[in-house]
Amino acid sequence: MNRAAPLVEFAFWLGVAVVALTLVMLAVTLIMRRVALRRDRIYREAVARWKPIIVAEPGGVAARLPSLRARDRSGFIRVWNDVHESLRGGTTDHLAKIAHEVGLEPQLYGALQSTSFHDRVMAVIALGHLRSAASFTHLAGHLDDKSPIMSLCAARALMQVDPQPATPLLVARIVERSDWSQGSIAAILHEAGGERVSGPLTEATLKADGELASRLIRLLAGASPDTAAPIIRAWLVAASDEPVVSTCLQVMSNAADLDCVRPLLAHPRWHVRMLAAATLGRLGLPGDDQRLIAMLSDSQWWVRYRAAGGLLQLSFVGTERLRQIQQTQSDPYARDIITHVLAEQAIGSTA
Amino acid sequence: MSAFWAQLFLTLEWAFFGYFLCINAAYLALHYVSVFSILEYMRDHRADYLPRDLPAYQPPISILIAAFNEERSINSTIRSLLQLDYPEFEVLIVNDGSTDATLSSVIREFSMVEFPEAYRQRIRTEKVRGIYASTRYPNVRMVDKVNGGKADALNAGINCVRYPLICSIDADCILHPTSLGRVVRPFLEDSNTVASGGVVRVLNGCTVKNGFLEKVELPRQVLPMFQNVEYLRAFLFGRMGWSPSNALLVISGAFGVFRKERVVAIGGYRTDTVGEDMDLVVRLHRRARDGRRPYRITFVPDPICWTEVPSDLKSLMGQRMRWQRGLAESLIPNLGLLFSRRGGTVGWLAFPFMLLFELLGPIVEIVGYIAMIILWWFHVIPMQVFLVFLFLAVGMGIMLSTNAIFLEELSFQMYPRVGQQLRLFLAAVFENIGYRQLIAFWRVIGMLKWLFSGNARSHWGEIARDGSWQHADGAGAGGTRKGGSP
Repeated sequence: MNRAAPLVEFAFWLGVAVVALTLVMLAVTLIMRRVALRRDRIYREAVARWKPIIVAEPGGVAARLPSLRARDRSGFIRVWNDVHESLRGGTTDHLAKIAHEVGLEPQLYGALQSTSFHDRVMAVIALGHLRSAASFTHLAGHLDDKSPIMSLCAARALMQVDPQPATPLLVARIVERSDWSQGSIAAILHEAGGERVSGPLTEATLKADGELASRLIRLLAGASPDTAAPIIRAWLVAASDEPVVSTCLQVMSNAADLDCVRPLLAHPRWHVRMLAAATLGRLGLPGDDQRLIAMLSDSQWWVRYRAAGGLLQLSFVGTERLRQIQQTQSDPYARDIITHVLAEQAIGSTA
Repeated sequence: MSAFWAQLFLTLEWAFFGYFLCINAAYLALHYVSVFSILEYMRDHRADYLPRDLPAYQPPISILIAAFNEERSINSTIRSLLQLDYPEFEVLIVNDGSTDATLSSVIREFSMVEFPEAYRQRIRTEKVRGIYASTRYPNVRMVDKVNGGKADALNAGINCVRYPLICSIDADCILHPTSLGRVVRPFLEDSNTVASGGVVRVLNGCTVKNGFLEKVELPRQVLPMFQNVEYLRAFLFGRMGWSPSNALLVISGAFGVFRKERVVAIGGYRTDTVGEDMDLVVRLHRRARDGRRPYRITFVPDPICWTEVPSDLKSLMGQRMRWQRGLAESLIPNLGLLFSRRGGTVGWLAFPFMLLFELLGPIVEIVGYIAMIILWWFHVIPMQVFLVFLFLAVGMGIMLSTNAIFLEELSFQMYPRVGQQLRLFLAAVFENIGYRQLIAFWRVIGMLKWLFSGNARSHWGEIARDGSWQHADGAGAGGTRKGGSP
């Protein structure tokens, strides 16, 4: 056992160190809790002090506002931003007046230098709502932030402050940054107004291919369907990149381009055939019903389902005609899928 | 004791000590990775900084609930799901041949009628007896099938779902209204995401009203309290630690979202295992790596799914033995992933970690304790040495549990009162004295059962329910439920 004695001693002191570390960890946890509780209390006090003033009716803003204390700044900005978001589209003049009265803008520039990520993002959002031209260069500096949250907030704020110079900056980042959430970009473009961004977005889309082309086509179709139409048509005619073709089929809205869709009903990939059938159902013209009837016997369930659903969607087909079509089908799969979509229609459920 | 045996036991003891240091060092490493991951996550998601995604950019989801004898809780679960804050989803209940009134209860509650579904069997399952659709809620349907176990029920559901993402949840889980939006976020942020899982938290002690979690409290009973600490450890650093390196091997069957086509491509859930949820994730890794396809399996640390844990020893024992068996059944058939050329972090780190520490850990721990007692009994080692090792083992366990409490404070602060934190700490201390060893023993039994009887068919485990957290929604308390892995 003598040989083992140093190891036992090592184990003992290791145990002591572990217990000490545990107690330190517990102490840190409790201290963090105290700090968090204090921070919450300060925040709640700030909210209680400023919320009634900020949410007051536009005409009800007091002529003389209390001064904005440093400890209230975070709570004030949060409430001020929240009220802006809730008034989207409504008048926000009284909020601008309050911001001016309390001298918010210089405080926001100060908050941009804060070590707290939360305070920095909130300041960026608030500067966007403030729409002060002087903030443009401050915000542009955050456009390339490593965090997608910070950079997207900066992009949104820039579009709010001055969309003209901000659009090319934004489009360039949309192309470069794959970590930007598509839903957030679409929301920013939607907020800015589709036509405003369609020019630079079209230019970028024309140069793109592969996954980037899919992303940009979807955004462009959401922002400006008319501008997107010729690009979508070009991709459908080429039919060279299956994911891009799939995206085009999902977003196309121009019935004049259906002649590019019809050949895709014979595409070797069932996913493309399914989307082509769905598109014909959405935009189809007389004559397309016969094409969809032929798809009712496709080997893939989803193609049959979309074809049957598409027939039901065509204004010139309708429920009764679909029942007649069902009776003429010799393929049991075609008959079953029509029964299925008719039942779905009856209970108001479709995928 | 002869010198030979004494030497053998002593060597074993030092091997145990070395293993013990390695396992704790590995857990500590995971803890530190988790700290940074959680800090980063909390930084980005402390508030809703960005305008809400346009609905067109939120993919529709099919929520799958596999149910067996859930008449007491199923309607309440469906009602709570119908109030989820998500633009487009369907709820598909799969009644796996329940012998109670689950089927009739759901039909009555949601005004369901038989639906002439053009059913296609992409994954082979037990016979489907009928499909029903609600006439009141167009997005609620039910599959009624012959009993085949949880995995079989989920596969039947996958055959019927409409949308590209599937979310499996347990029939007695409580979700927050924003849960679906949060767990889907990784799919929006990275198109290569094939699966994402969320934190499961202990519901015992909380108050649920009308399907919604109204008040979060710590469990009042000892066993659920110990499990609460275990869940914090398992989710906040067991899973958060592996997620950044795309090496997450477990997504809880209680709440996970998967890309449907990827699941179908690997044949759905395996029905010859009790660990179907872990097995699915391991095979998703393996298939993607073998095919050199870019993919991502992510963990979302928001506390988004609440579940009741066993409050009696018998249920707990059955659950832990089943989990250990499921672990073995998921790892052993996928040994090809271990140190494989394309294995990456999952094949070279996470898989060996699970094999060496999670699968074999309980055996080493129990053998270590037994060897120690034998050595002390035969006076090969003095009492002092025995106590030193015990002190170190228990101390390490307490430190890891305290780290988990620290991570909880760093992240979601679900238990904000100082008194709650101290109670959690006490649980972290006492769960290491007796409880942890008991769990290790049960896990060894689970391993032995697996070794001597081979893989088990996926089945519904029975756990006695307390149900005292449910209030005012007409759902009765008590009964039994299935138990999946955490």
